[in-house]
Amino acid sequence: MKKKLVSLLLVVVMIFSLCACGKSKETSTKKAETKAPDATTEATDDSATKTDTSASTLAYKGDLGIMHFSTSEESQGNGGSDGFRTTIASWEKKNPDISLKQTVLANADYKTQIATLAAAGDLPDVFLLQGMNTREWVKQGLVLDMTDYIAKSPYADKYDKSKFYPFTVDGKEYAIPALTGGTCTVVVYDAALWKEAGFDTFPDTWDKVKEASKYFKKKGIDTIAFGNGGKWQANSCFLSTLGDRFTGPEWFKSLVEKKGAAFTDQTFVDALKFTQDIFKSDVFNKDFNAITNEDAREYYISGDAAAFIGGNWDVSYIQATLKDKPLYNNTKFAVLPQPAGATGDTDSHNIGLGYGIAINAKLKDDPEKLAAAIDLAYTLTGPEFANYVTDKYALSSVTKVDNLDLSKFDQFTQDFYNYSYVDHKPCEIYDSLISSAVWDVLNTDLQSMLNGDISPEDVAKNAQAAYEKNY
Amino acid sequence: MLNSIRPKKWVIALYLLFPILLYVFAVFIPLITAGFYSFFDWKGGPNKTFIGLDNYATLIKDDVFWTSFGHNIYLVFACIIGQIGLAFIIVLMINSRLVKFKAIHRTFGFFPSTISAVYIGLIWLMFYDYKRGILNWFLELIGKGDQTKVWLNEPKLVMLLIAIPLIWQFIGYYMVIIISAISSVDQEIFEVAELDGANAFQRAIYVIVPLIKNTLLVCVTLCVAGNMKAFDHIFVMTKGGPGNDSMVMALYGYKISFAQQNMGYGSAISIGIFFVSLLVIGGVQFLVKMLTKEKGEI
Repeated sequence: MKKKLVSLLLVVVMIFSLCACGKSKETSTKKAETKAPDATTEATDDSATKTDTSASTLAYKGDLGIMHFSTSEESQGNGGSDGFRTTIASWEKKNPDISLKQTVLANADYKTQIATLAAAGDLPDVFLLQGMNTREWVKQGLVLDMTDYIAKSPYADKYDKSKFYPFTVDGKEYAIPALTGGTCTVVVYDAALWKEAGFDTFPDTWDKVKEASKYFKKKGIDTIAFGNGGKWQANSCFLSTLGDRFTGPEWFKSLVEKKGAAFTDQTFVDALKFTQDIFKSDVFNKDFNAITNEDAREYYISGDAAAFIGGNWDVSYIQATLKDKPLYNNTKFAVLPQPAGATGDTDSHNIGLGYGIAINAKLKDDPEKLAAAIDLAYTLTGPEFANYVTDKYALSSVTKVDNLDLSKFDQFTQDFYNYSYVDHKPCEIYDSLISSAVWDVLNTDLQSMLNGDISPEDVAKNAQAAYEKNY
Repeated sequence: MLNSIRPKKWVIALYLLFPILLYVFAVFIPLITAGFYSFFDWKGGPNKTFIGLDNYATLIKDDVFWTSFGHNIYLVFACIIGQIGLAFIIVLMINSRLVKFKAIHRTFGFFPSTISAVYIGLIWLMFYDYKRGILNWFLELIGKGDQTKVWLNEPKLVMLLIAIPLIWQFIGYYMVIIISAISSVDQEIFEVAELDGANAFQRAIYVIVPLIKNTLLVCVTLCVAGNMKAFDHIFVMTKGGPGNDSMVMALYGYKISFAQQNMGYGSAISIGIFFVSLLVIGGVQFLVKMLTKEKGEI
């Protein structure tokens, strides 16, 4: 009897949970469906006026595959994703004879999947190439050389050529930078709290930050929230910018082009040493190595930290979450303070376009299909996309936009636009270049180093060994 | 007599064909191809360079791989003691006459092993959380606020801390096996032992353990095999960190193959995992055989 009761209970619980699953799925697909037509109509309005020229000039009929990571969930808060999806939808509409086969995965899954497909030599016709894979995949003959197509592009004169660097090997360009340019290192801070601590703006040296941390400690909150639980954050959102302050941009360029620079160079070791010291001081939340950036930004949002260091993806989340809350108007942006002993630029931040639209080298044998793929690449990176993300989100992409009216955006968006594109000096994002094999080794060691378990010299030595072996 | 109801050989073969094909496809082919790829310098893509045994030479000198192996062995020991040992004790407690609602205990004890390891990892991640976790909250509550730690960032503790969810998850699984082993023994034996004046501890050690020894040894083999392939909940909780302090072999192989895109060396690691696991499981089975033989002689 008892058994029967228990099993009945279990069955009921199971049925309920199944129902719940089913329902939530239904609503989510519905949401996606209702959202998509919306977006397309909007886009066609736009495109009808702006880019009518390319319509129906393509001879190709049939399937064209594309793989990307702008999922419908992602596009809710991320301007680049929204623009990407919208532009794809409008291209599809303009080319009814081409059936575009999209494979859309979340970013983390995309990286694994595309690497596996590359390993199998079975890449999709059109895909997003990550800067750091360029050299290896080009060596493998997987990626089409797009130099001539880029030169012949109808928008060639509007391209920001500096953004092509991660996709250039030996003077040849293999992708058109895609999505939106975003900073990977930004200090997001609560201006009201810092004013309380005696700073009108975010301090420009770390010593002043340490001074402020005494005040915040008394208040019972963290000075700066940071999350390195995924191991990549300390590299992408801290060291990549801080390293530039110590080494200057030439060092990294030389490392990328194999012109003699090494991880073991004193300036880089100094940057590592400084990183270790600053994380040892009380400036950051104590659990920085155990939580992710998603957790850390919640510390900021909930007021448990006076500032947060992260990337543009964190800022778009913070913006969406804080809207209509008092903290929204107090949130300001700053570059990393300058470390003592650093001789490089004082206001650099690492920004770029990490992915580019690339085309499978196999398409060379099918000129009509290739023309279609190239046209898709032009469209996805061209003015249609650029205008959309600039008008709607104040984001910039590889194609320059002539007239941007910032005044229609709120202060938060304006501030972040100025932070990203106007006020500060750009530097390279480390892990957009070189090779994942090097960064994986460095990131793992970096996490131990921040705990004080391995010395900066050893971190540099291991990274150099991985660099020599894999690059 | 037996032959008349025995199906024809080809019928048996046909029945077996599908599972065998599935097994060959899912286990043998990947194993053989991994073995093949492990002789190449292959960073993904169509170009591979044959480098003979170089990958294996690297593997033998690879500290991270052997540290990971050590961590797997640690998990094996922790889980043999934690999972099977605790399961045995809990079963004895449930079987005692004093405990009510036995079926409920059994059902809920088995619950965690039905949950995906990823969820288990996430649940325990919240448990260990520095600011909002129950563990630190409890320490504060009992006045030991100075003992609070960023638990998963402690290189010396992290292996123990990730072993605990694993133990918690699978206690119920071994409980069920042990319960069925005990219930298949004639209950009169336990009654006689009790009448003869053996206390609970003596009954457990001198009566129950010898009677279910074979089952316990099967449990040990299962436990070893299960822990050599530990991956999911560690991937969720620490990603092998801090540094490589909670790295296990499967996670390391995954990292090399996919995060570092070094398919050739990744394949060599898989083959390495296959062989060291075979050795460990083989060693345990050898021990098991020795132990059961002893019993046969008596």
